[in-house]
Amino acid sequence: METIDIKRPVALTELGQGALRRLARAWFEFERRLAVVPIVRRLDLGTFTRDDYQRLLLNLRPQVVEGSRWISRCASSFDRDHADIRSVVLRHAHDEHRDYEILETDYVATGGNLKTIREQPRNIGSEALNAFLMHRAGEPNPVGLLGAMWIIEGLGQKMASNWADRVEELTGVDGSCTRFLRYHADNDDSHMDKLYGLIDRVCTHENAADDVVRTASVVARLYALQLEEIDVEP
Amino acid sequence: MNVYVTSTGAFLPGPPVDNTEIEHILGFVEGKPSRLKARILKSNGIQTRHYAIDRAQRTTHSNVEMAVSAARKCLDDSPVPAKSVGMLSCATTQGDMVVPGFGSMVQAGLGVPAVELLTAHGICSSSVMAVKAAANSLRLGEHRRALVVVSELASRLLKSTRYEAAGGLAAMDFNSEFLRWMLSDGAGACLLEDAPRGRCLRIDWIRSFSHADAFPVCMGIGTPTDAKDARTWQDFPTYAQAEAAGALLIRQDVRLLEQMVKLGVDGALRLIEEGVLVNQDIDHFLCHYSSHHFRGKIADLLVMSGANIPEDRWFTNLYTRGNTGAASILIMLDEFLRAGRAAVGDKILCMVPESGRFNTAYMHFTAVGD
Repeated sequence: METIDIKRPVALTELGQGALRRLARAWFEFERRLAVVPIVRRLDLGTFTRDDYQRLLLNLRPQVVEGSRWISRCASSFDRDHADIRSVVLRHAHDEHRDYEILETDYVATGGNLKTIREQPRNIGSEALNAFLMHRAGEPNPVGLLGAMWIIEGLGQKMASNWADRVEELTGVDGSCTRFLRYHADNDDSHMDKLYGLIDRVCTHENAADDVVRTASVVARLYALQLEEIDVEP
Repeated sequence: MNVYVTSTGAFLPGPPVDNTEIEHILGFVEGKPSRLKARILKSNGIQTRHYAIDRAQRTTHSNVEMAVSAARKCLDDSPVPAKSVGMLSCATTQGDMVVPGFGSMVQAGLGVPAVELLTAHGICSSSVMAVKAAANSLRLGEHRRALVVVSELASRLLKSTRYEAAGGLAAMDFNSEFLRWMLSDGAGACLLEDAPRGRCLRIDWIRSFSHADAFPVCMGIGTPTDAKDARTWQDFPTYAQAEAAGALLIRQDVRLLEQMVKLGVDGALRLIEEGVLVNQDIDHFLCHYSSHHFRGKIADLLVMSGANIPEDRWFTNLYTRGNTGAASILIMLDEFLRAGRAAVGDKILCMVPESGRFNTAYMHFTAVGD
């Protein structure tokens, strides 16, 4: 596939730096909020069980399946003036469009039933998150979704570096059950370089930067809601 | 009204203790050398520190004695007479007495009459709370001079006998041993006045952000080794039972430490967003955390967002004076000023991230005078 590269800039513009600082704040706010989500708190306190892990995977799957759809729709919404961004998003869609299969295999490896996870409906948080992402992805040139990538990729890295070992330690499951959590550990640095490049490309005026940061905050809130709902729904 | 730091003082007990000597002072648990010591020392980078206990683990200086020594040093270097101090603002993690407050004992030791008294309770950032309360009382015009004294005697918590009483080697893990190779003893003091005196520091602002609402305890004393036991130390029938259950050991949840670094950055970004902090203007950065904690992705993010402070502007004495908890930042400030590093007009940022339950504190000074 012929693609136009977006590379890590040597330095960000002042506007880009400001946007990055605000995105960092949005991320730290997300981590603050995650830390009080019951299932994440149990992970921190050491009371997380194998049952918790199965419910986590069950509740993540619907959105992971939908993930490839909103990214693909997002790619198709960029016009020729944004072809470089479209290339990055297309590659991203290609990279991730089947990672729900890893998640399903992990679930089965923990002793779960494949039919159960495939039939698991979206929880309330997943409904809201999916609806928001699909809606934004359908808008012309949805540059704000860079904020969604910032949060979702950040969480992927947090799962790999912070959650995977902890899940194994607390539940006794082995590496064959945590492949999805670890999935985003690879190419960590290149992911960050790509995000820096996109910030530089997208945040060329204050409105775009506001849109990116606002989208990041909404996605963070809805993602946390998706995880909160694990303890609300049966 | 502006408030100025016009004098500082520090006290470190006994001679510097190098890494090979530590265990001869703190003691060998069950007579065996620690298997984690080398790894933990390598990660914190501390080369020498001071202890207020000797090789027989007898206390050589009480916490109050160290506090008083640092306070005297601070006052001796100033023409201000001790009796003109209006407020005495103290902090420590753990006084010699459980009650009354540490400040009462320091006042008695110093012999300063009829002061307004404050004892800030907490861990590392309690020093900043003590400085801020003192500065505010001067700003209000209630006092003209305030003395801040912060002292720590952690080594008494780290003696081998403490661990043996709590189940010995079998009950120890990385989290319970981590601080044994990190913390040490010392005291620092500073004098605040409502007018400049010679070369001194103007306090521009002092701010802090606590995140205890969001995160669990990361460093503490008071809960038993068994995480499922919800009791705290005084809930046990006897103190002996609390100790046997490990409820009097000092513990660090090492897994959560990474969050502390991020929240330290978060606080700085909040202050930048408010327009209070302009990182590019900082000439000297005194941080209670070692710079190596800010490597990797978080360092890259700081550079890319224009919020980093170049490493040649960092000043620390953690590696030679040890991590003395709340006292660290004042001991650091004292050494920094005595070395004559602050030129008139220089801007100085101090940062104290407290891992206890995640409080991050910042102090901003400008060197003025002469």
